[in-house]
Amino acid sequence: MARYAIALDYKNCIDCKACEVACKEENGILLGADKQRIWVGHAPIKGEYPFLDLTSNAFVPSQCQQCEVAPCESVCPTHATYYDENGVVRVDAEKCILCSYCMVACPYDARYVDDRTHTVDKCNFCSDTRLARGETTTACQATCPTKVRVFGDLDDPESEISQLLRVREYFTLKPHLGTNPKLFYLT
Amino acid sequence: MSIKEFITTIPYNRISIRDLFTFEKSPVNLLIALMTLSFLAMFALGVAIYLEHGHHAYGVTRQHPWGLLIAVYIFFVVSSTGLCIVGSLGDVFGFKDYMAVSKRAIFGSIVTIVSGFAVIAFEIGHPVTMVIYNVLSPGLTSAIWWMGTLYGIYLTFMVIEFVFLLRNDMRMARYVGFFGLMFGLLAHSNLGGVFGFLNARPISNGVFFPTYFILTAFITGIFITFIMLGLRYKLSFPEEIKKLLTNLAKIQALLISILIFFVSWKMLTDIYDGLPGRADVASHILGSWTFWIEVVLVMIVPLVVILRKTGSNLVAIFWVSLSGMVGIFFMRYNLVHDSQLKPLQMLKNTEYQLAPEWVSYFPSAAEIMISLGGLGLCVLLYFIGSKLFNLDADAHH
Repeated sequence: MARYAIALDYKNCIDCKACEVACKEENGILLGADKQRIWVGHAPIKGEYPFLDLTSNAFVPSQCQQCEVAPCESVCPTHATYYDENGVVRVDAEKCILCSYCMVACPYDARYVDDRTHTVDKCNFCSDTRLARGETTTACQATCPTKVRVFGDLDDPESEISQLLRVREYFTLKPHLGTNPKLFYLT
Repeated sequence: MSIKEFITTIPYNRISIRDLFTFEKSPVNLLIALMTLSFLAMFALGVAIYLEHGHHAYGVTRQHPWGLLIAVYIFFVVSSTGLCIVGSLGDVFGFKDYMAVSKRAIFGSIVTIVSGFAVIAFEIGHPVTMVIYNVLSPGLTSAIWWMGTLYGIYLTFMVIEFVFLLRNDMRMARYVGFFGLMFGLLAHSNLGGVFGFLNARPISNGVFFPTYFILTAFITGIFITFIMLGLRYKLSFPEEIKKLLTNLAKIQALLISILIFFVSWKMLTDIYDGLPGRADVASHILGSWTFWIEVVLVMIVPLVVILRKTGSNLVAIFWVSLSGMVGIFFMRYNLVHDSQLKPLQMLKNTEYQLAPEWVSYFPSAAEIMISLGGLGLCVLLYFIGSKLFNLDADAHH
């Protein structure tokens, strides 16, 4: 039993997209920009010349936010989307009817149709690959050359992520929606 | 009486396939027959393409996962609920003037929802899995689960009510019709809830759609009643039907006025003070031609035509009911599309491409063919029903 989360030191991201490749390789995700569990967004420069805010121009790696109150779980008519024992939001392909309601309800555009199973797929923190093998990192974390991601257990006060979140300021995406995301962007 | 004996007491006309081709060969009838057959052929072709290519045959995307088929499904189930409300005026609420249309309206509510189910079966990726896990693993917080389950119960009640109407057992029809109406309204407001529960989409989120769906269902039901009775009586209505339709037209004027009020305030509250994600979407909707088709065909034209002669110009109202149904289609399409207009992932994440401003969608040929096929199926089932059963009021009415 754990409460897995990821902290992202996103300003270290260099947009090499190694995380996208590693995720596809590890989890057997099909090729194509629409078939991705994780991605790197480009935040545009804010302001108008000459009043440009250069610090706003950042790379923002993202994926399923692993919400504690996940809209995709609430709207699923067959409980195909569920929370596992580690608080990870996962999809049971056997039960998914491909109604796509979760795709419409997810505030983070984190879901897509997996053509391997013809069901809706999303990031599950490598739960059925690396974590199932007993490893303690996700593929995106392990491959990152600038160590943007730190994956770990929020319930363990000694975990690296818990220590980081104690000393660093962070924000979450769309906090006003009350979804309590478990992806923390360090500032 | 056993169920078998009961079934043998249901009155119906014995017909052969040949009887289905026996109708007055007027140009209008031939046009309707030709269109129906063409649409059914398109349905078969659209389904074949879907079975071969799956959702790749559709214009839906990751950002716009719900497309034309969802809109057409809503179009049919709204029609069904509306016809159920119109049919219930007579046999549930006891307004005797409306008894004459009860049987036809209830039968219409059955064929429209069956057509809706036929269309959605090719949008839901795994309909068989849905039937199994809806029962084994029900998602009770899901509006889709409630909508689907309640519509299933509703359809059962509608069929039983129709049987009692055919047997002229008005007492049982009233009881069953009450539960049918109740489940229909619950199912339908849950369909509104499917959109209303979308916290991520401020343009849809809230109480508006669950209530608006009931209102627009009633309006749709009256439009279709005009169309059904107009075709039945070839626009030359007997006195009893004239009275019924004139009264319905007056109710329609009231309902459309309320709808205009609803939509105006929805737009005003959406735009007021520029709340991001809602005001910008509402402004975008106001600038789209599909929204104005909805406004003109469902609201302005029917209201003006009805009010001009306080509902007595039935032939004109028949024609604006036909165009009104085109408007109702756009209303459903707009609802589905507009809910997904605003991209949820605002950052550019692919090279050589700007960050998306609005999500675009255009239905594919397969989607259009299956949608028209749903219409063809609806007309065919209604035609067969009108041959098989006496849909007019019984003599004592």
